[in-house]
Amino acid sequence: MAVLLGGLLSGFLGLAMFQSPAKAAEYTLRVQVKEQSRDANGKTDNQPVSGVSVTVTDADGNEIGVGETDEEGVALIPVPDRGDYTVTLDESTLPDGQTLDAKSPAVQTVTKDSFVTTTKIINFFTGESQSESQTFVERLSQRILDGIRLGLVLAMCAVGLSLIFGTTGLTNFAHGEVVTFGGLATFVFNITGLSFLGFLSFLPGVTEQGTFHILWAAPIGVVFGGLFGWALNAGIFSKLRHRGIGLVTQMVLTVGLSILLRNFFLSRFGGRTRPYREFTLQRAWEIGPVSITPRDAVVSILSLMILVSVALALRYTRLGKATRAVSDNPDLASATGIDSERVIRLVWILGGALAAIGGVFRGLDEQASFDMGSRLLFLMFAGITLGGLGSAFGALVGGFVVGIMVEVASLVVPTELKATPALVVLILVLLFRPQGILGKAQRVG
Amino acid sequence: MDWTLIIENSLKGLIGVNAVYFAVAAIGMNVQYGYTGLLNFGQAGFMACGAYGLGMTAHYFDIPMWWGIPLGVLFSVLLGLLMGIPTLRLRADYLAIVTIAAAEIIRLIVRSVKFKTYFGGSDGINNFSEPFREIGTDLGIQQSAEYGFWPFTFTGRELWTLIIGWLVVALFGFLVYQLMKSPWGRVLKAIREDEDAVRSLGKNVYSYKMQSLILGGVIGTFSGMIFALDRGSVQPDNYSRDVTFYVLTALVLGGVAKVTGSIIGPMLFWGLFTFIDNFMRQIAEDPIKVGNFTILQSTQVGQLNYMLIGLALILLMVFRPQGLVGNRKEMAFDGR
Repeated sequence: MAVLLGGLLSGFLGLAMFQSPAKAAEYTLRVQVKEQSRDANGKTDNQPVSGVSVTVTDADGNEIGVGETDEEGVALIPVPDRGDYTVTLDESTLPDGQTLDAKSPAVQTVTKDSFVTTTKIINFFTGESQSESQTFVERLSQRILDGIRLGLVLAMCAVGLSLIFGTTGLTNFAHGEVVTFGGLATFVFNITGLSFLGFLSFLPGVTEQGTFHILWAAPIGVVFGGLFGWALNAGIFSKLRHRGIGLVTQMVLTVGLSILLRNFFLSRFGGRTRPYREFTLQRAWEIGPVSITPRDAVVSILSLMILVSVALALRYTRLGKATRAVSDNPDLASATGIDSERVIRLVWILGGALAAIGGVFRGLDEQASFDMGSRLLFLMFAGITLGGLGSAFGALVGGFVVGIMVEVASLVVPTELKATPALVVLILVLLFRPQGILGKAQRVG
Repeated sequence: MDWTLIIENSLKGLIGVNAVYFAVAAIGMNVQYGYTGLLNFGQAGFMACGAYGLGMTAHYFDIPMWWGIPLGVLFSVLLGLLMGIPTLRLRADYLAIVTIAAAEIIRLIVRSVKFKTYFGGSDGINNFSEPFREIGTDLGIQQSAEYGFWPFTFTGRELWTLIIGWLVVALFGFLVYQLMKSPWGRVLKAIREDEDAVRSLGKNVYSYKMQSLILGGVIGTFSGMIFALDRGSVQPDNYSRDVTFYVLTALVLGGVAKVTGSIIGPMLFWGLFTFIDNFMRQIAEDPIKVGNFTILQSTQVGQLNYMLIGLALILLMVFRPQGLVGNRKEMAFDGR
């Protein structure tokens, strides 16, 4: 009723407006009304909606102009200058059976600053948007799949963080930068190119400028990630341990390291996100209710294989057992003849390499950027806390669960806030089970 | 190379608004980190509480600006409880993890479109500090006139913020100094040294830690308020986690577990920062080239500054974790 009344009123005001002399206008509002639809291939194929009246009022509520959309669904309404306007679509003039999409309100505002050129485009959409047309089950399964992908990357990055904590007691706030390092090292080999490596161009996938196919660049980046982990331990943290510097001091130091590295990456790489050269644009496979690109599918399977082999190695190999022993109780492990320094070195190398793999996979998925790792840091922390600080298996499970939770949560919370549930999990775990789901009950405080 | 300008700017940096709001935040962090051994990596979250408390009075509640002060304090007490309740019974690093996470989530929430009606989204909230400026004008400080003597020349606008700011610094500095001399403060220091020993003496360690966390946080809130009043605006990205880390660096530079350290640290931090920044910008203006390679480009100066902050924090923690005026014995706690 109110809508109808509003429509009549604006129609009436619109008629009244027609009688006033038209002003010479340099600025134009281009109102477009479209019906959302998809073609047979699932591509957007919006249809224009004609014969819809729209009214433009200024900030004080005075009528500036009215218009009716033509065959192309467009109404051009001249306005005197750039300013704040309100555009109202008369919903009663929409064709029968069509309504505005819930995300496209009938009243839209235009601010002075939004005029980039002399024409400002305002879009109204009718029908259901593409995402709305999926059923809840479809959206949920897609989210779970995306969550599994994020969870695998998180688990991979978090193992190193958790093992380093377990063996040395250090919470490494620079671990996100280790992830970024892997992603960017791969970028350097893949895109930037090292010209002195041009002599390798006889190999397939290597150019004379010294750029490498991603299948070369990724393993090289991972090796560099491992070396980076080794260097951090050998250059800084083993020295600090020998000097008997307290853990809190070391923790603050990792904060400094994180600032240093992140700004170094920013100065070299710039603030933009950039993709690797290969496998960037792929058509997604539709499997039942979900879609996944072949690249993401391969990456996920690879991650799963890597994680399973890490878990098996920790469980059954001598070094793996030694690692878990040191992680459990460093003094007791030393007393049984385990060289704990060697184990710690191994953990840093392994942690660095796994983080680098995580960085490369993240870079393939979401492009490389200078803060790709530090944005994951807090999710990694939520993961290892959930799994149990210091437990490698806990980090695997926890990272995985947090990844799924964050993606699924974006069904209910806005995407920009989808990290919030991770904080909720963190707090709940600490309140009710501070040792984490796989940690053993002991005093942690 | 204009040395006069560099020196003038650096000396102004020593006592400028940045030094003021860092000093207040550092006094708060010092209560937590220096005196109690708590790692609060979310001080930026507390600062955001104060700034948004002020901003929301104009943007959402539509009440006089001064209500923002109790509102901000209320927010930060709630934030302190949220961070403290799950973590303060546990090892030191859990607090660090939760505070870093909570501060980041606060930033995401205040800049989100979803809560734009409350917090103004990524544009933040603007133009609410008039009542604060009016008092300055009433006291006879002309907003745009120049005051002071070389090198400390400020506009009336800056001068008024500085007067109030340094008063707040002095007030909290004195408060913390007195508190730490009191029996209450001695318990905090004892908790830093050996929690179990304090517990065995029948003190409620959890409660003392909570009081310390909240006191430090509330002081940090006032830092956010000073910054917001000076700018006349709140922007969510001014409260990123790096701000916490820079405050921490400034605190460690000055000296941990000393009130003087937490005041001269931020002064030195901003004096040095301004000096290096100005110096490098002057070099970049007239670039030195070696062959095709430019030594320093003006676009790189910003990042180089922050890299130096990171490096400074690393070197300080390795060689002088107690800072300039601190006592090394007071920074030997382990947290494990």
